[in-house]
Amino acid sequence: MKREFDILIIGGGVVGCAIARELSKYRVNALLVEKECDVAMGISGRNSGVVHAGFYMKPGSLKAELNIKGHRMMPKLCEELDVPYQRVGKLVVAKNEQEVECLYKLKEAGDENGTKNLRIIDKEEIKKLEPNVEGIKALHSPTSAILDPFIFTIALAENALRNGIRILLDTEVLGIEENGSFTVKTTKGEFKSDFVVNSAGLFSDRISEMVGISKYKIYPCRGEYHILDKNKRDLINGMIYPVPPREFGGLGVHLTPTTDDNIFIGPSAEYIGEVDNVANTAEIMERLFKEAKELLPKISKRDLIRSFAGIRPKLIKANSKEPGDFVIEESPDVRGFINLIGIESPGLTAAPAIAEKVVEIIKKKMKLKINQKFKPKRKAPVRFSKLSDREKSELIRKNPNYGEIVCRCETVTKQEIIDALKNPLGARSIYGVRKRSKATCGRCQGGFCIPKIVKIMEELFQPPIDDITLKGEGSQLFIGKTKDLRR
Amino acid sequence: MIQKEIDIVIVGGGPAGLSAAISAKRNGIDNILIIERNENLGGILNQCIHEGFGVEIFKENLTGPEYMQRFIDEVEKLGIPYMLNSMVIDINSDKELTVCCRDDLYKIKAKSIILSMGCRERTRGQICIPGTRPSGIYTAGTAQNLINLRNYMVGKRIVILGSGDVGLIMARRFTLEGAKVLAVVEILPYSSGLPRNMAQCLDDFGIPLFLRHTIVNTHGNRRLEAVTIAEVDENLKPIKGTEKKIECDTLLLSVGLIPENELSKNSGVIIDETTGGAIVDENLETSVRGIFACGNVLHVHDIVDFVTLEAEKAGISASRFVKNKLERYEMIKVNPGVGIRYVLPHFISTKRDVKFFLRVMKPGRNKMILIKDENRIIKRIPKLRVNPAEMIRFELKKNEIKGVKELWIEMENVN
Amino acid sequence: MLTKRYVCIICPNSCEIEVEYSEDKINRISGNMCEKGEEYVKKEILCPERGLTTTIKVKNGSLPLVSVKTSKAIPKEMMMKIMDEISNVEVEAPIKIGNVIIKNVLNTEADIIATKNINKKVK
Repeated sequence: MKREFDILIIGGGVVGCAIARELSKYRVNALLVEKECDVAMGISGRNSGVVHAGFYMKPGSLKAELNIKGHRMMPKLCEELDVPYQRVGKLVVAKNEQEVECLYKLKEAGDENGTKNLRIIDKEEIKKLEPNVEGIKALHSPTSAILDPFIFTIALAENALRNGIRILLDTEVLGIEENGSFTVKTTKGEFKSDFVVNSAGLFSDRISEMVGISKYKIYPCRGEYHILDKNKRDLINGMIYPVPPREFGGLGVHLTPTTDDNIFIGPSAEYIGEVDNVANTAEIMERLFKEAKELLPKISKRDLIRSFAGIRPKLIKANSKEPGDFVIEESPDVRGFINLIGIESPGLTAAPAIAEKVVEIIKKKMKLKINQKFKPKRKAPVRFSKLSDREKSELIRKNPNYGEIVCRCETVTKQEIIDALKNPLGARSIYGVRKRSKATCGRCQGGFCIPKIVKIMEELFQPPIDDITLKGEGSQLFIGKTKDLRR
Repeated sequence: MIQKEIDIVIVGGGPAGLSAAISAKRNGIDNILIIERNENLGGILNQCIHEGFGVEIFKENLTGPEYMQRFIDEVEKLGIPYMLNSMVIDINSDKELTVCCRDDLYKIKAKSIILSMGCRERTRGQICIPGTRPSGIYTAGTAQNLINLRNYMVGKRIVILGSGDVGLIMARRFTLEGAKVLAVVEILPYSSGLPRNMAQCLDDFGIPLFLRHTIVNTHGNRRLEAVTIAEVDENLKPIKGTEKKIECDTLLLSVGLIPENELSKNSGVIIDETTGGAIVDENLETSVRGIFACGNVLHVHDIVDFVTLEAEKAGISASRFVKNKLERYEMIKVNPGVGIRYVLPHFISTKRDVKFFLRVMKPGRNKMILIKDENRIIKRIPKLRVNPAEMIRFELKKNEIKGVKELWIEMENVN
Repeated sequence: MLTKRYVCIICPNSCEIEVEYSEDKINRISGNMCEKGEEYVKKEILCPERGLTTTIKVKNGSLPLVSVKTSKAIPKEMMMKIMDEISNVEVEAPIKIGNVIIKNVLNTEADIIATKNINKKVK
């Protein structure tokens, strides 16, 4: 294995992968390391999947600048990378006069930041856009969009890989030595690199500390969600948000459709002690449902199919007066060490713009030659359920594996499972299949298809039993074969 | 794309579908097609390797696979066509089915359809169990499939939430395979499984049952490390201070079954919110003419023999429909009253003897099932014991219900 | 004299049977809907028996396991011993329902018989 690189990126979240992809436009020796068994295992996959239009951010902040820029880059990027992207629009709904005032403040900030086509609309127009939503006035943002954050991150990584960036999964950084260049110690051995990019998200303060920069501290702020059955998708057209609460925890419990026709309810905002505690709590689960039911009376608990939580890597403590900004800089003390800290919302939207900014920083220090062979396009595997009957028929005739439905809830075929398992990154967990193919994402939550997916894994790889995991090492599905405990 | 025209399409080749097909064939319909999504017929019975099947119909105590094989053999003998590895992905209101299978996409125009897709398990997401989401949390049926068919042992130290029959059967199965079942946790004050399963699956092995308890937390980010259980109050809310942590690597959920009616809804079939299955009349015909339903897709049964009997009826009705011989009488409504969770069929003609299925709300002793119309009690059926886990069947003769305009079924105490 | 309650496990009727008995004899049995219930309770007091169902490993089969049962009820305390015995057995496909896989398992006079047809694996 090659051990020496120009640039080493720590973290396979959306930001790390966007940087990798941006770097692949140049002829560089770069390596991305990710401690989990796949990319998008942290906050990148645990958010609302919203491409923000930029009106929430404080004018003049780095967040505002990169949000607006990322939002503008996104449609073309998603097209190039074949990522599900839908411009569904957003309503921020005011329930009383006091909240209406906030709408005007949001619009003002949006206008200043450069958000396009923001309008304050009245009750009648709300009803026209969203017949199931109640409110006295709303801020309408037609350019707000949604995307699939898993697929987006995976697509960035796959495209980077194709264009020459090395990616190593299951590789945790244990320590970094700095002596002119960097020696990065990992669970897969040591790597030397001239530049290190710290895009480790929730762990970015720890990575930063490895080179002696201890001025940053991440304050984990958990957000819990519920997912609604897709048979409730028609209740809303676009995103429905409340007026954001005064504290800078989050944007308030909102309803966000997904590109797979579910609706997310959430997130809450709660400062917690540990960066890896993505548990749901009874209290917040109850509250989220109650608040969502106020926005949409037609939902019931029967419609919930799953709950999850994500953690915002905040640079500010609870009850702070200021919202806090992204830190994106080459460390003034440690040359060649590029720190990305506090990349919370709108990090997903801003990711492509952050990547450009990081490459600009590197360019100042190192001559980057254009990669003439760079291929911007990535083709996603077929999504059978999205095809017409005629296309389905043609596909099955060419390849019978498209005729065998493995996941009945999301109509995912055997070939799509095979494609997901044989992905370019080599990620092989059930979550890997889940993110790529959407099998197990439906209302039975994998009850019927997990045994079938395991069988396909057997057919393809004959994996040892310990390699069959939900989400990588330590999350084995099985403890052995039957009879093992009796022999 | 392959086009086909079929007299009776049967969606699902489990116990209900096979019986319906056999009965339709015996009633003179040859152009039948069973569509089965798995690689063999038999449905869920393939993995139900325990005994208790066939007592009603064969007067024998068979295992699931043995019971099912008798019907598969009969289907083969009668030469009833079936498709395997084939999934119906749509049914429209014109009774046209879209079927996905390994050779092509089929468009099948059916004169009649029998829905027999069975049910799915309620998941963690639907009952909102707080905590982390590690591996090691399985629904009981999925674990049964992995252990009994795929030869994968899912865990060593097991806690089971819910005392439904599949969970109880799995408690014994795990114990026999050498795993330790630490607790069965049931939120209600009584078990939701059959008493015989309580006796032979838990008591035989000394497995503790925690009634009025639920799971309030799951621990471990990778593989499950522990669960926290707590006692609940009369509103089924956990009582603070009663929490107890149990170290385990597996949590099995046996918290209810849901008839799988997404396809039925596409075709316009109206669903009963209580049963989760179609609203049907005495012919087991749904709100869409020519579409019939039987088995667990209609309502969740506890005994497969009754699925078979119900499905036979659906087969007869569908064959009569195809032959234009299904009588079109005016129907009256049958309502569940006090103490009754649901009663099937929802509509009857009063022109024929009818068999009813019902489930009660709560367990009890010395009860009386009352059958009433607006004015009077038509019939009283005494019951020594009632239990929501056990479906109750009774029959009304046509002379008992002659001229009745609406029926109510209630339960009352006997003094 | 002792009184004990049993849930009959012979069939899904799950009769709740009450029995009064002393050390050497059963005095009264009530609650059972059929004779099998009486028989069951007698056995349950004197020498409890159970039918055992499980699986056995299959070589070259379309499935990795075949489901099996004991041909008759076996003493309850023998269940785990038979499970240990079964865990080390492997059978070659094809297998037919009713095939005897272990004869007179651990001298219980019960055979272990297949309850499922298993075809040979198609290569």
